[in-house]
Amino acid sequence: MSKSNKSKAEKITAAKRDSLIELLKMEGAKIYNDLDKGQFPQFSVPSRSVSNIVYDKKLKQYILGKAASLRSSRNMAQLRSFTQLIWLAFFANRLIQEKKSSTLRDIYYSSQAFEIDFEDQPESDNIIVDLEAVLARPREDFHIFPEERSSVFGDLTIEYTVPGYEGRRTNLSDHPDGYLIGPSLSSAELVDTSAELVIAIEKGGLFTRFVEEKVDKKFKAIIVDTAGQAPRSTRYLLKRLREQMGLPVVILTDGDVYGEHIAMVIKSGSANAAHLRDLTVSDAKWVGVWASDIEKYKLPTIPMTESDIKRIYDLQKDPRYQEGIWKKELEVFLRLKRKAELEAFSKYGLTNITDKYLPEKLELAKSL
Amino acid sequence: MSKETFNQISPSEFFYRNRDLAGFSNPTRSLYTAVREFVENGLDACDQQGILPDIHLSIKALDPEKPDPKPYVLTVKDNGPGMESKHIPLAFGTVLYGSKFGLKQARGMFGLGATMAILYGQITTNKPVTVSSSIDGKSLNEYEMMLDIQKNKPVIIKHKTIQTNKKGLSVSITLEGDYSKAGAKIRDYVYQTSLITPYATISFDDPKGEKFHYKRIVETMPPPPTIIKPHPHGVDVETIRRMIVDTHYQIPTLDNIMIDKVRKELNLSKKNLNFEGIMARAEKKWSSLSRPVRVIVAIMSFLQMDFDKIMKIRLDDIDLAHKRLTYWDFGESKSVTIEMPKSNPYYKQLANTVQGESVVSFLTKRFQRVGPSTALKFAEFAQIKPDKRIGALTNDELVQLSDSLQKYEDFLSPDPSCLAPLGEEPLAKGMEQFFKPDFSAVIQRSASAYSGFPFVVEMGIAYGGGIPAGKMTVYRFANRIPLLYDEGSDVVMQVVNETDWSRYKVKNESPLVIVTHICSTRIPYKTVGKENVADRPEIEKELKLALQFLARKLSAYMSKKGLAEIEKKRSNLYQKYLPLIAQFATELAAKPKEPAYKKLIKDLNTNVEVKQE
Repeated sequence: MSKSNKSKAEKITAAKRDSLIELLKMEGAKIYNDLDKGQFPQFSVPSRSVSNIVYDKKLKQYILGKAASLRSSRNMAQLRSFTQLIWLAFFANRLIQEKKSSTLRDIYYSSQAFEIDFEDQPESDNIIVDLEAVLARPREDFHIFPEERSSVFGDLTIEYTVPGYEGRRTNLSDHPDGYLIGPSLSSAELVDTSAELVIAIEKGGLFTRFVEEKVDKKFKAIIVDTAGQAPRSTRYLLKRLREQMGLPVVILTDGDVYGEHIAMVIKSGSANAAHLRDLTVSDAKWVGVWASDIEKYKLPTIPMTESDIKRIYDLQKDPRYQEGIWKKELEVFLRLKRKAELEAFSKYGLTNITDKYLPEKLELAKSL
Repeated sequence: MSKETFNQISPSEFFYRNRDLAGFSNPTRSLYTAVREFVENGLDACDQQGILPDIHLSIKALDPEKPDPKPYVLTVKDNGPGMESKHIPLAFGTVLYGSKFGLKQARGMFGLGATMAILYGQITTNKPVTVSSSIDGKSLNEYEMMLDIQKNKPVIIKHKTIQTNKKGLSVSITLEGDYSKAGAKIRDYVYQTSLITPYATISFDDPKGEKFHYKRIVETMPPPPTIIKPHPHGVDVETIRRMIVDTHYQIPTLDNIMIDKVRKELNLSKKNLNFEGIMARAEKKWSSLSRPVRVIVAIMSFLQMDFDKIMKIRLDDIDLAHKRLTYWDFGESKSVTIEMPKSNPYYKQLANTVQGESVVSFLTKRFQRVGPSTALKFAEFAQIKPDKRIGALTNDELVQLSDSLQKYEDFLSPDPSCLAPLGEEPLAKGMEQFFKPDFSAVIQRSASAYSGFPFVVEMGIAYGGGIPAGKMTVYRFANRIPLLYDEGSDVVMQVVNETDWSRYKVKNESPLVIVTHICSTRIPYKTVGKENVADRPEIEKELKLALQFLARKLSAYMSKKGLAEIEKKRSNLYQKYLPLIAQFATELAAKPKEPAYKKLIKDLNTNVEVKQE
């Protein structure tokens, strides 16, 4: 592929990259000028405290309010975290310029070479979130990814944009284990698909079963393993599948309160990422396993723990759980005080879930 | 049945048998005690004459190859006033002979210890003591002596007079000691003595060839203590009885010697005057007459007798209450009683002499800080007639007097002029020199008293600098003597340990030294070993107040130091992080060179040192 004939994917990626570099340069220049004038530089960091996280009904997700705090290098207590923040901006700038990616853990270790002294990884993770908040860009944009990876499988052709692979295409049904949703896949351009549906599934075990049972073909679906609570790169991919490829997303989780919340986070984000907007699939549909399914399908159950029950009460206070199935299923869970896993369908045979439950649920989903 | 025998023992025999009491229980302790006694005597001698002391102590083994305990030669030289040649044998060769029996503060109380050390040396090595003294810095008398323990008498072996160019006293004894065990204590003792005597130069040559030299730090000596009268609270019945016997007077015996004395004082050795002549002469010379002569003259005036007549009678009784005088007339062989006319001017003189002073005058003259009005108020309190003659007090009245003296609250506090505290400045300088601290403070409390004994507490505190961290060190002194033993049960330790140091921002391992000095005419030691002070409430209170005062000062310093440390930490933090920020910002902003941020650090650097005021 020639330079003059850049693909659309490359153009989009480059534009995004350039704007981020420009943003970083601006922040750097502000600090540079303050220092040059003999002033203590400072950052304005949007507050991520609970009081500043509000639910936006229009966006159907949590967003940050207007509160922001100044992190000043004049303040002795903030000096270290100020330095950490500008170091991270500096490091992210290098990652972007050199087209390298890094993990959260790698950031923590890299800091030591610059004598930045993060006490532990949670501290460095927290600074990464600070930088996301300051720039209003997800860390994936500056090439920082979590360690854990979820997977994707199905007829989807992508085109890589990472160095050395630019323009190379892959079909995600080529590998029966699925493809890891890593940095290169996250930044790849989505080119083509025959699928009509995305099924996000909570568990790796069921994901493999779905591949074996050719759910992708039977239901014309792209299957995504969220590996529990979906990492942001996975949510980002789901969003792009919805928006760029126009595919509806359904979510299949364990029959417990955590499963319900995993679905909700895909749909409307998490409070932790309230400073980011591009991670939600607001019309994603949670198809089960519902609490009412436990009764309907007479699934084998186990009793809820106290923390399960406490979690129900907590979610009942959440504005997103005030209507529809979200509200109704919480109530049923609370009444049953029992939960069931996706594997519970094995009671009726290994393929029962794909043969019976899934078609029924997908049919039902159309009316949701 | 065996017959019980009674015999009297001499003082030296007594101390020989009870040498443990004075600290001569074993070779280790004895060597240490002997050092103390001689060094303290030397310092006392210089103190009393206002001479800046120069003390040289040496200990040498007679046979260094022998294992301890073994004989050592202990020599202490001072540059004091020396001692007159004629006093030397008695002072160093008998027990209970000395110049320290007055009421004032001195290191040793009776100078007993030195003789004890000599005694101990003699009984363990059978070697004589050598004393050499020069009072004029020209001639020196040197005695070599042994003690006759049973007779409490010196036995002079050698005495010579030689030329010298140095004043002072040198004592050298041979005694059995254990330096390997006592050495640490002795070195401590010398070190601490130098600390509390900063106006002295003290050197010590130890048996292993090591030399310790502590040079004089201050050139001025604290004023010497004065001998004072006792405070009413500080006396017991026996002391009062002795004081009374001192003031009133036994009728002298009318013998030839006495008559000669009267004639001599009246200047009548060659003349023979009649009665009127004698009286006229006595009246003329009255003010120069001695008390016994006055008594005899008074009696002669009542009897209307001249010398011839008076030599033929024997005085039997003088009954002042009934103004009667009874005598035995040898010529007539009969007893005669005459009335003593009150109008006779000699009557009062006689009464005063025989019965002593009135209670009021006794109190005002014989005790410190008692004036006539206090004495009168006291007499009322004690229910004793103020003009009652103390010679006429019965035993019961004496006890009543003594008890009342203890109980009466309104006596002024004792006069501390008999005390010799070191003073704030010398103490502060000594501590500076010894510990080289970052911070130090001293205080001298004003005088106070317990049971009638005046005392003064001095205290110093030093922090940081040359003082090693670890546990805090407390140096205890009493009357300028370091107390090295029995630390645990001492009142000072009690006060220090009861202090909540965290309130003063002091941690357990703080590099801290506390120096306490208690001066008193009588230190209330807990034991005969004189190494720990008992917890008298008055002393405890003074110690507490002194310590609190110093701790508050330390605390203020610690606060400032804390601020300085924060300031320093702050500065360090900026010095570390600002260059990093500049470096990252430069690359982010894609600038060719770093911003001019160094001024920011420079501004931070000012005002970070905290100095002690």
